[in-house]
Amino acid sequence: MIRFDHVSFGYGEGSTVHDLCFSLEKGGITALIGANGAGKSTVSKLMRGLLHPTSGTVYFHDQDMATLQASTLAARMGFLFQNPDRQICRSTVRDELLFSLQWTVPDASLHEAACQEVMDALSLSAQDDPMMLSRGERQRVALATALVHKPELLILDEPTTGLDYRECTRIMEYVSRLEKQGTRVVMVCHDMEVVLDYADEILVLSGGHLLGQGSTEEVFQDPSLLRAASLLPPQMIGLAARLGLSGIRTVEEMTEAIGKRKAGVQ
Amino acid sequence: MKSLLVYIPGDTVIHRLNPCTKILLPLLLCIACFLTDAWWFLLGVLVLDIGIGFLAGIPGHTLKLLRGLGKLALFLLVMQVLFIQSGRVLATLPLGILITDHGLQVAVMGVLRLIDITLPLALMIAVTQMSDLANALVYHAHMPYKYAFAITSAIRFIPVFTGDMQMIMEAQTARGVAFDTKSFWKKLRLMIPLCVPLLISSVKKIESAAIAVELRGFSLRTRRSAYRRTSFDGRDLTAILAGLVLIALSVVF
Amino acid sequence: MPWCIFPADKGQHMIRISDFTFQYDSGRTPALQNINMTIADGDFVGIIGNSGAGKSTLTYAMNGVIPGFYRGDYYGSVEVNGMDTVETRPEIIASHVGSVFQDIDAQMVASVVEDEILFGLENFGIPHDEIEGRVTEALAACGIEDLRMRHIDTLSGGQRQKVAVASIVALRPRMIVLDEPTGELDPQSSEQIFALLSDINRVYGTTIVIVEQKIALLCAYARKLAVLDHGHLAFFGPVREVLANGRAMESLGIHVPRIVSLHQALSERGWYQGTAPVNMDEAERMAREAMQ
Repeated sequence: MIRFDHVSFGYGEGSTVHDLCFSLEKGGITALIGANGAGKSTVSKLMRGLLHPTSGTVYFHDQDMATLQASTLAARMGFLFQNPDRQICRSTVRDELLFSLQWTVPDASLHEAACQEVMDALSLSAQDDPMMLSRGERQRVALATALVHKPELLILDEPTTGLDYRECTRIMEYVSRLEKQGTRVVMVCHDMEVVLDYADEILVLSGGHLLGQGSTEEVFQDPSLLRAASLLPPQMIGLAARLGLSGIRTVEEMTEAIGKRKAGVQ
Repeated sequence: MKSLLVYIPGDTVIHRLNPCTKILLPLLLCIACFLTDAWWFLLGVLVLDIGIGFLAGIPGHTLKLLRGLGKLALFLLVMQVLFIQSGRVLATLPLGILITDHGLQVAVMGVLRLIDITLPLALMIAVTQMSDLANALVYHAHMPYKYAFAITSAIRFIPVFTGDMQMIMEAQTARGVAFDTKSFWKKLRLMIPLCVPLLISSVKKIESAAIAVELRGFSLRTRRSAYRRTSFDGRDLTAILAGLVLIALSVVF
Repeated sequence: MPWCIFPADKGQHMIRISDFTFQYDSGRTPALQNINMTIADGDFVGIIGNSGAGKSTLTYAMNGVIPGFYRGDYYGSVEVNGMDTVETRPEIIASHVGSVFQDIDAQMVASVVEDEILFGLENFGIPHDEIEGRVTEALAACGIEDLRMRHIDTLSGGQRQKVAVASIVALRPRMIVLDEPTGELDPQSSEQIFALLSDINRVYGTTIVIVEQKIALLCAYARKLAVLDHGHLAFFGPVREVLANGRAMESLGIHVPRIVSLHQALSERGWYQGTAPVNMDEAERMAREAMQ
């Protein structure tokens, strides 16, 4: 679906990516992980066509992204920023969604139904003023604007930063339901527990280079890869490694494994 | 994006001048440029400006500023030549537009003045650390710290707000807003909703900034609080005298 | 040379909050209700809670921002190092309590690191011959000696956060209050900030109060934990004791670290009797013991 072919990008020191080559197939949730300044946000913006590579090519469905029209990209992709306040500019939730739709769905007769569907799904009410809502609710409004036109690719740039656990779970549960309905999801994320719970595939970035790509298990079971990217594995996987256990992701699996060992000892 | 109005650290004769001198000198040059009527005087001031830039060890930056100003100057030059139709006709363009000696003279003088006034101010920002400027204005010019701090904070917040605006534009582009439209009015109409998020984030920022400085003892500050003292010495006196001499010359010519 | 301008009296509480209720003029319900808590001098307290639970408001009550800058209905009393915050001017409280705010870019006043640190020192009238020592010490305490002459615009988020902490440490407050200082930082930089605060707490005895969403870090570094829920103080006490209420915390929508969930599962099965682990070493010890 998305293919980076020797893509480099640079604007000033510290925020560059170098010679990236990777491709993302259809289906699944991919997480981009790495330290601050590793180039995660840059990669996500290149993927959406908000930035253009200084060299190399980004392909979307085997078409050079640079040749695609901005409106086409907007209609087929959705992008959620970390800070919802940068995009909210209307005085009701409904107007906010219609403002997005006017650019992405030309047929105005579809707008009303599309708004209603996404508001129901994210428990938003049409007449609320987004500015008066809580941080987590505003993030849901922003997510709604990124989704209302039913994009095939949804890119999330640190969707859960600044949210408490309850709001974070709510947003991620919805995103993972969308993925099951066929939306491709790419997310930049700092919280390894969230990555473990929701991502199928991981891209590890460090200093603008791609250190590795693999399934969530593969990447988290590779301590040297994580160390090179200055990251720590999620707690249960880290603990399993210390105890010499494998194939454990959750607290339940860990409890069970400990129980088995205990039975074996006695 | 690298702004042209940034401080460039250095340790030259120019950098070591008192910040008050550094802000006074462009003002003196400005007065001189308005008083004179001689084109060669203006040209001389331009050479002096460039000389100061080289002396401050930032020739590259000086030329970049000059190039930026040059573009604007060229535009103004053409406009003025085309609009001023009085005087002796030097050439006639299609549509009956005349190029006259008077027009050319006024345009060249105007453009030279513009560059002569703007360049030293931009150079001043390049060689002056803003907190030093605030401290010097308080200590030597007896300006209340509140005002000095307001001036320097305004300059410091410009890049912060530009950055915010860029991120807002990016967020709106991501949802499909087409800023690359050709029509100026359409573009203007699109910009208005952007001002809402910018305004809200700016007000929030300024409110927390005000509380933060207050909790760091802002209101306890006195004229003598500054740690790095700046002094007036022979160099500053020479520079200011030179400025005054220029004004005297400008009155004569 | 005394460490702070006004040393705390021996055995005195740094913070004493009694029956404190506060409602912002713009709010429809009280942001905080009936808060009672004391923080001892030299303690390290973490505050967690969902958004809107009143975490920031609680820090504002401790550093004098309330009632100094935000108006509202104020009941009960807050004492900071023995001073009532209603009767004392905010800048006097500020000389006892240093604050690091959420929006780090708004907090910065200077373009060069050194000037940022000088700002507070100059304002509070620290004697001239003492200033150089204070700047060097603050930079060293935060491990950023090499950034002294750098432009703040060129620094990374983590470095900027350290500069903000250094500019407060230089003032030698008895207490530092921080509101989500690691919000935008990656795991490693976040851990560095916590390690830095822990050092300052240990070496200088500075009381630390920190609001944070990353509960695993709080558990590993803080000594006490305060859990806020809809303006009420739901739990407050030593980290391990608070973590023993894991189930109750989850019902408030606050997730505990997974090693703590594991502790619950093992305790419930009767496989482990000890207290909850706060770091990976303790978790490993717990798991090995449970296997026996």
